[in-house]
Amino acid sequence: MRAGSLRLPGAAWRAGLPAAAVLTPLVAWPLAAVLWRGVAPDGAPSWEAILAVAGDRFYWERLAFTTAQAVASTALALAVGLPGAALFALVRFPGRGLALALVTVPFVLPTLVVAVAFLQFAGPEGWISDLLALASLPRLEPRGTLWAILAAHAFFNLAIVIRLVSGVWANLDPAPEEAARLLGAGPVAVVRHVTLPVLAPAVAAAAALVFLFSFTSFGVVLVLGGPGLDTLEVTIFRLAVRLVELPEAAILSLVQIGATLGTLGLYAWLQRRIAAHRVQRPDRARPLSALSWRARSLAGAQGLLLALFLGAPLAALVWGSLTVDLGGPSLAHFTGLLQETSRVSFIAPADAVRWSLTFAAAATALAVALGVTAATAVARTPGRRGVLLDAALMLPLAVPAVVLGFGYLTTFDRGWYDLRGSAWLVLFAHTLVAYPFVLRATLAVRRSLDPRVREAARLLGAGPLRAWRHVELPLMARGVLAGSVFAFAVSLGEFGATSVLRRREFATLPIAVFDALGRPGGLGRALALCSILMLVTAASALLISRLRYREIGEF
Amino acid sequence: MTSLAVRALERSYGGAAAGSGDPFLLGRIDLEVRDGRIAALLGPSGCGKTTLLRLIAGLDAPDRGDILLAGRSVLALPPHRRGVGLVFQELALFPHLDAAANVDFGLRMSRWPEGRRRARVDELLRLFELEGLGRRRVHELSGGERQRVALARAVAPEPSVLLLDEPLGSLDEPLKAQLRPELREMLGRIGTTSLLVSHDLRDAVEIADDLLVMEAGRLLQAGPLSSILSHPGTLRVAEMLGYATLLSGAAIARRDGGLSIAEPGVGEVDLPPALAHGAAGAARAGDRGGMLRLLAHPASLLGVPADSGRGSGVVGEVRRLLPEGPLSRVELALGTPPGPVRSIQVRWEGHGRPPPPGGHLSVAVRPEELRLFGPAGAAIAPPGDAP
Repeated sequence: MRAGSLRLPGAAWRAGLPAAAVLTPLVAWPLAAVLWRGVAPDGAPSWEAILAVAGDRFYWERLAFTTAQAVASTALALAVGLPGAALFALVRFPGRGLALALVTVPFVLPTLVVAVAFLQFAGPEGWISDLLALASLPRLEPRGTLWAILAAHAFFNLAIVIRLVSGVWANLDPAPEEAARLLGAGPVAVVRHVTLPVLAPAVAAAAALVFLFSFTSFGVVLVLGGPGLDTLEVTIFRLAVRLVELPEAAILSLVQIGATLGTLGLYAWLQRRIAAHRVQRPDRARPLSALSWRARSLAGAQGLLLALFLGAPLAALVWGSLTVDLGGPSLAHFTGLLQETSRVSFIAPADAVRWSLTFAAAATALAVALGVTAATAVARTPGRRGVLLDAALMLPLAVPAVVLGFGYLTTFDRGWYDLRGSAWLVLFAHTLVAYPFVLRATLAVRRSLDPRVREAARLLGAGPLRAWRHVELPLMARGVLAGSVFAFAVSLGEFGATSVLRRREFATLPIAVFDALGRPGGLGRALALCSILMLVTAASALLISRLRYREIGEF
Repeated sequence: MTSLAVRALERSYGGAAAGSGDPFLLGRIDLEVRDGRIAALLGPSGCGKTTLLRLIAGLDAPDRGDILLAGRSVLALPPHRRGVGLVFQELALFPHLDAAANVDFGLRMSRWPEGRRRARVDELLRLFELEGLGRRRVHELSGGERQRVALARAVAPEPSVLLLDEPLGSLDEPLKAQLRPELREMLGRIGTTSLLVSHDLRDAVEIADDLLVMEAGRLLQAGPLSSILSHPGTLRVAEMLGYATLLSGAAIARRDGGLSIAEPGVGEVDLPPALAHGAAGAARAGDRGGMLRLLAHPASLLGVPADSGRGSGVVGEVRRLLPEGPLSRVELALGTPPGPVRSIQVRWEGHGRPPPPGGHLSVAVRPEELRLFGPAGAAIAPPGDAP
């Protein structure tokens, strides 16, 4: 690590204080409270609940299944995503920026919308089933099958693989590959022996993230899963809803937090390795016209495949929201949103939109403040301590959102901080779920800065704060902006914690979708709401691409 | 061993795909490196040296022209079938492999048998004084060690031609000074036909047999190193090789029948008969009245006391003294007021210390070390002395 000579020992930790001051009451405390319930169900520590969980085959099966499906989802996402990453890294085709933004849409989509879109495409009433029915084949029923979960996870996480890997790939020094060519390696051998090994940290980092998001999957599994297909997070939710089993839920949370923290630590370590080997170089992508006919058709086929894999479910979703059963195109589902039905008391969509935007805006503002201070602290902490701090600050991403929700309900429950039933808790939860994205994006930019710039500012008379304010912060701005757009989208789609903390008075769009899905005749309504949610998040993704997020290089 | 030849090679900025009419990166380059010779391609940065190497290696395609190895065109061959070794400017070592695996890479790709591979890697590590460093990762090696690994890697699969792109470019000056003779010796030991690219004349002087001087995408002069260094073919080449202008002026006939070059305010130098003959020939050929340039290399310029009578006819004012070991170099301003025309450096050749700044010195130079260039910049060579 290049340690600045002006840095006093301990200064880095002081920079982390503001973040710690916020995270302790909002994460550590509620988390500790929930976990305490697992370790000490009756107020005094006992092994009872732990032994009960450890001795129950059911929980081991849940853990094994959660891990296995996450590994399989990761493999699938890599299999589809790596060729896609190659396409974006190596070919400068018309509309590449827009295409990359569109690839990102599924990732910022609420998981619930992903699940619904997937059913619209491959469900019993979906497009594929309609095609099969035309050929007099039986319709598909993906719900309750493993492959539905895997496909949805791959669909959701593809953007991570493509963005992270293509971002590193596009800036990879081409010289070692050319050296390999001159040493007798053919095009395939170059990829196998040079490109992939050099890309390995980026691929591993992408895999770690995909694994993480698949491991903690909630919305997708809740809608597409079934008996025997519950992930730990869904199991925790089911246990916690029946409050008597909160101790078991707490112990499972502990297991999940351990697993996700380990994955996050691995990810932070890999990112440092990528940053260390990274030399900023001009985009190496070559225009289509410079490619051979074979390479061009390969790129075309790859693009088509990606468009199909990502576009078809979303198209099916929008199509579903614009048609009525067995009928032609219609705006009935949308106009239906505006009419209050007395028969079933749906959540008022206008209120849901208003609350969603309010939470997203406020949570983004808080997440930016938190994320930027945290990123500064991590970037200034050298070596292994920096990796540890990074992983610790990413804790909110590791804590199951559902657990966070229950933690809030059990901690903010008396005196002046009795916030049960208050919108504040939703805001806190959204902030915490969203802020890691600001942290990551800001940190990536901050790491690419030359530390001497800051040192120069110090020598020119700027104190630590002014150097940060006038030099570091402006240079980090691009990362902060990109991260905040991500944070906005994540807050819009947050479902896990909100589903625990919700009240009808401040229900968000995803809650309204879930609510509609669970009521007879609510599918069309849910589809229309999903379409609206998708539109807003897609707009966010496009904004991210305007900020040229790919150059920043973390997911 | 193989010779390398380049015939009428052209390449525009965008390459052939971008269409002609682009400014030229390389314009009709012809060059040849004979069997086992080490040639140095000298030129300022951006003159197209690296482009030329990439074309030879097959990493880029020329718009026109041909590249021959051992007399056979290799234009149609992809880089991995050309048998050309390249040492990259930034070395481009494989960061994920250790030193030995870097050296072994080309052997692995060419499917050498396991035993021979191991023997060859060991032999090269020994040859390049890297014994015991084989297991080190690239980032654990020093600059000089990395440079040797890159060289060992490039020569391992026994390329027919070895290209080196600023092989010392990324190192600091003391290390460069140490590595130049080492590189020369190692290239000599391998015996492979080599083409080295550099913007630093010292690299060429200390490493190469032949010199190719390039500027703005054109080859200005090519030939054996010593002959080009002593007889630059054009004014531009002379300047690139460090020659200094003594006089810039018209030739005037002397009463004794000889020729002199005179520049008002600077001085007048009698041309030796051989050069005078050449200058007269140039004048007859139509250059009459044009400005001639008289140059000499600083190594052959001496500063002598103005009243010693040993001067050649140019007097300068001492600007500053540059001690050089026990001796002194002196920077002289040429030309009387209203203003000095230019400055040159000479070696102080007299008793005691040179005069302090403000004093005057005569410039002395042996007549056979003067170089004369015509108005168009071409060397006016004594007959029979052309390189």
